[in-house]
Amino acid sequence: MSRPLRLLLPLALTIFALLIPTGTVQASTVHTNARDAKTKTSIKHFLFLLQGDRSFDNYFGTYPGADGLANATCQRQADGKSATCVKPFPLHGQSVQPLGATPSVLANQYDGGKLDGFVSALQSVGRDGTKAMGYYDQRDLPAYWRAAQQYVLFDRFFSATMDGVRSNRSYWVAATDAAGQPVTIFDRLQAAGISWKFYVQNYRPVTGPLTGSQTASNTQSAAVPLLNYQRFTTDPALRSHIVDLGEYYQDLQRGTLPAVAYFATSGSSERSARSISEGQSLVTSLTGQLMLSQFWSSSAFLLSYDGTGGFYDHVVPPRVDAHGLGLRVPALLISSYAKHGVIDPTPLDYTSALSFIEYNWAVAPLATRDRQAHSLLSAFEFRAAPRQPELITNGSPPPLRAKLRSTGIVYIAYGCAMALVLATVGFAFLRSRIRRPATPPVTSGESITALRIGADSR
Amino acid sequence: MTRSVTEPTGGSAAPDYPMGGPDAVPVGQVREVRRRWLPVGGQLLVLAVITAVAAVFRFRELGAVGFNSDEAVYTGTSASLAGNDSMRSLFPIFRAHPLLLQLAVSFTEHGRLTDWAPRAIAATVGVGTVLATYALGRKLYGPGAGLVAAGLLAVMPYHVVVSRQVLLDGPMTLLSLLVLYCVIRYSESGALSWMLSAGAALGATVLCKETSLILLGGLYAFFALTPSVRVRMRHVLAGLTMLVVVVVAFPLALAASGRANTGQHYLLWQLFRRANHGLFFYFKQVPPALGWLVLAFGIGGLLWLRRENTWRERLLLCWVLVPIAFFTVWPVKGYQYLLPLAPIAAILAGRTIWRIGSASLLRGNRVRAIAVPVVLALLVASTLAVTSWPKLSGRGSTLAGTGGVAGGREAGRWVAGHVPSDATLLTIGPSMANILQFYGGRRSYALSVSPSPNGRNPSYVPVPNADLSIRQGQFQYLVWDAYTARRTPSFARKMTELVNRFHGIAVFTATSTSGSGTDRSAFATVVIYQVRQR
Repeated sequence: MSRPLRLLLPLALTIFALLIPTGTVQASTVHTNARDAKTKTSIKHFLFLLQGDRSFDNYFGTYPGADGLANATCQRQADGKSATCVKPFPLHGQSVQPLGATPSVLANQYDGGKLDGFVSALQSVGRDGTKAMGYYDQRDLPAYWRAAQQYVLFDRFFSATMDGVRSNRSYWVAATDAAGQPVTIFDRLQAAGISWKFYVQNYRPVTGPLTGSQTASNTQSAAVPLLNYQRFTTDPALRSHIVDLGEYYQDLQRGTLPAVAYFATSGSSERSARSISEGQSLVTSLTGQLMLSQFWSSSAFLLSYDGTGGFYDHVVPPRVDAHGLGLRVPALLISSYAKHGVIDPTPLDYTSALSFIEYNWAVAPLATRDRQAHSLLSAFEFRAAPRQPELITNGSPPPLRAKLRSTGIVYIAYGCAMALVLATVGFAFLRSRIRRPATPPVTSGESITALRIGADSR
Repeated sequence: MTRSVTEPTGGSAAPDYPMGGPDAVPVGQVREVRRRWLPVGGQLLVLAVITAVAAVFRFRELGAVGFNSDEAVYTGTSASLAGNDSMRSLFPIFRAHPLLLQLAVSFTEHGRLTDWAPRAIAATVGVGTVLATYALGRKLYGPGAGLVAAGLLAVMPYHVVVSRQVLLDGPMTLLSLLVLYCVIRYSESGALSWMLSAGAALGATVLCKETSLILLGGLYAFFALTPSVRVRMRHVLAGLTMLVVVVVAFPLALAASGRANTGQHYLLWQLFRRANHGLFFYFKQVPPALGWLVLAFGIGGLLWLRRENTWRERLLLCWVLVPIAFFTVWPVKGYQYLLPLAPIAAILAGRTIWRIGSASLLRGNRVRAIAVPVVLALLVASTLAVTSWPKLSGRGSTLAGTGGVAGGREAGRWVAGHVPSDATLLTIGPSMANILQFYGGRRSYALSVSPSPNGRNPSYVPVPNADLSIRQGQFQYLVWDAYTARRTPSFARKMTELVNRFHGIAVFTATSTSGSGTDRSAFATVVIYQVRQR
């Protein structure tokens, strides 16, 4: 090789190497198939459903092995009410209205970290505060308890803030509740060309910016924080990603499940007692169809709640900044790579999910919260092969029969019987060979022909 | 030991009629002619050919179609007995019947589950029944009649169809021939040992299928109507005692396994089941399956040779008439229940056909004496074979007990390969549920199972509110099948409603074809829908 060539070759290679990432970036503006997108783990599809208004102790306070309700727990009542304190009690069979805990009530319940105002804070605004101490158990939550037994239950998963639903849901997508138009995880994914969708139950499409009053009164915009950010309602490229929940099932069937999917519900949000069963039914449907689809072996489904709704929880949340964290909420991870029946004590919150997405798909963090949050990685077991699905059902399965004690006796009994048959018939054969019958039973009662035949055959 | 002058070579066979009916031919001539028509070696050769034909008709395309419900249940039970944990959770060992066949089949189900090996056992038993029919026919009417009887049974549609399936009736029929043989020997000899053997053999028959206890009624009728056969009361008691001692294995195994109540539940259910067929079901189904010519020769022979009829024919008639009467009146009917008739019909037809030869002999033509019965036998057998042959594919019939269920095995194997292990399926009826459980290894329930404990098989678990169960996520798949849809159209409609209501998407379809040439068309036999609550 000539000297000029020796000099030019490294230069050409360097230029080529520089061009490759440039080309990739340019290509990444076009959405790639979720399975083709490079991920750092085996998870190619991350799905996150946020329900509402449940604390960890409200749902899993009596779950065996979890950091749940203590026997000594008792909450004081408001001044002027009964002098006795209120202990946790089962809500099974009761129809409990939503507690209606506003941010100020939540702050009073928190009481600067003393966690002693769960009953009194509600009573002070004229509500039945005792219900805050109620809890559900396996009878009411068969699907979730079964999911906890089969997958991962987090007992240190906190809401992002104590400032209410909208604030928590803002953290859910943007790792902040700052006013204005914060950058969301979906902006990051869009820019990186990674597919995403926001599935909304009973979605009423929004095609323009919501006014202030519309935003305040619109429950859909509360559940779907993206609708509060103008670009997601005006830019068709972004708006088209917010779709009705029905598309989720179609995507599973068509093989077009996006890499990242968020879910928001309306009628099945679990904010009322009546909708708890509905919520479980929805979750079993979402996870069940995922398990039956081609995507199970590469998916993770996270379920959590956007706040306690005023229900009691006994764990003081860590202080990460001026806004939070908020109180504990239930959280379950259902995945083919999730550990089996594990209670994960890692301190997490919604931004942990963002952290996982950012890590898995190599997109930049949104804010300090998600940059510093613990990831969900501790709940996965990626060294093993993907697990076979264990379906979650919402209700008691049909009864199974008790197992048989032993089958050995069956073989013995029938074996002895058949041995007896063989011995008896064999003996008769042998005896007929060596002895003449004493009394032939056929007599002369029949015709001549009959007599002859009888005699012929002894 | 005394020998009859008409005995061929030391066996105990009855006279060989074509060479000389007992009322027609001098004794010396009979012996002389028999020695000429076919030596023992030749008879064995013919028997070998008949056995080969019987085997072809029973083993050819044995696995063409998958199991039907009963086969799935019996083989599933066998796998449970063999210690297969997944099958044990799906197929309880104690159901409606005793377990003799299931125990035999269990030795083939220790490793990978197959449907061919259990059917091969059933088919082998079927071939064995053909040989037993020869032995019994030979015993009653000589080797010629025995060979004709075996030849007819070898290709008889009724026996061919049933003995290719893992059903209790095939082994039961074989064992019933042993009972008959022992009774004949007792009738001839009066020896207690043969009465004990008859009782023991009947016990084994009952251990195969409990309904064979009906045969006891046939024996009672025979002994009561035949004063020429003297029977001692102590012999009867001894025989009955032996029957009880053998049969006691069934309740003993139930009790020792902690399932004493199971048998009682099944008995109650059987007693109060709804009728599944009309009163004349057997009169429509069984005669064509036995063969009209077989029946014509059998019944015609009884009339033609009425002067020669003895206690033997009375025994055969009692043996078949009592079960016919019982199952005609009994509300629950199954195609295969009267299978013990098949060898008897073949023997009576064989007797008549071979006897025609001796009538020819009277005209002095010995060649014709052999040729006429042989040609007749071949003619009758040909008509049977022509009917049986198309049935070997096992397709086309929707009558329970006449073959496998098209598409069931394919659907079950799809389930095994594609459905999560704890998924649950809902079928229209329990037949398809049983098939899917066996091949698919997934729990399956049926819409048509009655919520009333008195109206359902105790093995089945009802789904009182299918709509609620699906909403709760208990069923992920709904299964429609043409076989059950034709039998229970109302439940098929309900299934279709559920499929539509719960956004069913067809994820598997098994098809079958009908017609030929340009008229050939495919139709769905089994469709599996994936459903969701919302």
